[in-house]
Amino acid sequence: MHISDGILSAPVLTAGFIGTIAVAAYTLRQLDLDDIPKVSVITSVFFVASLIHVPIGPSSVHLILGGLVGVVLGMRAFPAIMLGIILQTILFGHGGVTVIGVNTMMLGGGGLMAYAVWQLRHRFNINKKEMIFGGLAGATGIFSSGIVLALSLVTTGEEFIATAWYTLVAHIPVMIIEALVVGSCAAFLAKVKPDALAGQLPRAVPATAAATKSSTNEDSPR
Amino acid sequence: MPLDIDRFSKLESPLQRWDPRVKLFTLGIFVFSVALLKTLPIACIAFCLAVGILRLSSLPYDFVASSVKWVIFFLLPFFIIMPLSYPGEAAFYVIGLPFAWEGLQLATLIFIKAVAIILTTFSMFGTSRFDVSMIALQHLKCPKILVQMLLFTYRYTFVFIEEMRRMQIAMRARGFVMKTDMKTMQVMGNFVGTLLIRSFERSERVYKAMLSKGYQGELHTMVKFKSERQDYIKSALVLSTAVIILALDFSGLFLPAKQGWF
Repeated sequence: MHISDGILSAPVLTAGFIGTIAVAAYTLRQLDLDDIPKVSVITSVFFVASLIHVPIGPSSVHLILGGLVGVVLGMRAFPAIMLGIILQTILFGHGGVTVIGVNTMMLGGGGLMAYAVWQLRHRFNINKKEMIFGGLAGATGIFSSGIVLALSLVTTGEEFIATAWYTLVAHIPVMIIEALVVGSCAAFLAKVKPDALAGQLPRAVPATAAATKSSTNEDSPR
Repeated sequence: MPLDIDRFSKLESPLQRWDPRVKLFTLGIFVFSVALLKTLPIACIAFCLAVGILRLSSLPYDFVASSVKWVIFFLLPFFIIMPLSYPGEAAFYVIGLPFAWEGLQLATLIFIKAVAIILTTFSMFGTSRFDVSMIALQHLKCPKILVQMLLFTYRYTFVFIEEMRRMQIAMRARGFVMKTDMKTMQVMGNFVGTLLIRSFERSERVYKAMLSKGYQGELHTMVKFKSERQDYIKSALVLSTAVIILALDFSGLFLPAKQGWF
């Protein structure tokens, strides 16, 4: 999901670049040296995952996974998505050089919103909360990207209002699919490698739990 | 879709010989000036210029076409949505929907500009090795951290595509077929999760190897740039045409696309 070159007006394009540079400068400053390979790895995974097409009835959509970037990388999602967009522009010509700013605000902003929703899971104590909040984060990522896309179209000119509505409606099936995929992915990661998720609370292993664990090992018949 | 955009960077042409720093800067400005155009005739001229620059680069036709056809496919809906949704007087009605010529003019303008810009992107990045382009970007004051991450991401993308293909073959071998249902979505979620974990762990090993070879956040390169008079002449030519088309566009000689074809 991106906007192409040649549609938006110069003020909207400029606003996109200014916003992107501001947020990217802030989030890039939080990166450590050992984050650099990690963030690039995640970026290329998402880049690759966006080549996966999921069927909807007769047609298919490709996964966007902006929400999942937020769930995995947290605040670092923004530079990661920016990298993905720059690379997509260079390699595929999707989007374009002039809309890198707007597209990054759109998808990267979605990633940050998804992270915010994902963090809310600490407030609740329910079963399968990774699945539920992962799903919500996935849907939020697409939803807020759709809103930014619609806003950038509407601010370009009133002749785009109808187009903006069409794109918003077209996002609904994508939102549902993303919610399902991101939700089950978050549940999977929480089970298999919880450290890969962003914003996990530090897990203090209680002394008693560690003790019982070792004692059960000794007692086990094997 | 070709992922290795620099496949033909070794061909001989004026664009391949152009100093990457000067090339990226110049064509970058050209792209922005095309994006700002508002009149159809000038957009057509810009399109011809973009085709001309691409022809100079001697990139094979099939290579460019295989990417551009997707972009065209994504742009086609504009030809339907814009004329039917443009506010204003309707020229005639198509199955009850008002059809406005202004909308069609606008859609044409968008289409021509977008294709022109994509063709220029190929001239920019298809004519030097990817890593050389990135180092050139660093010379153009692009943040170092960003350039490094772009290089890593590009390199890893090929590795992970291979990984993904292997996993897909394994899934198919076990009889998995994609459908529109909960199960498929769940399997895809687990698929992406597995891909993530595998890549994570691979990157950790690679990072340790890099550290043990003395990586400290700097990339050392043997690429040397040299710009000569010819590089600046090419740059001056492109920049002056960019200024001329922008000046013609703003001069008011032609009507903006919203108001007419010419």
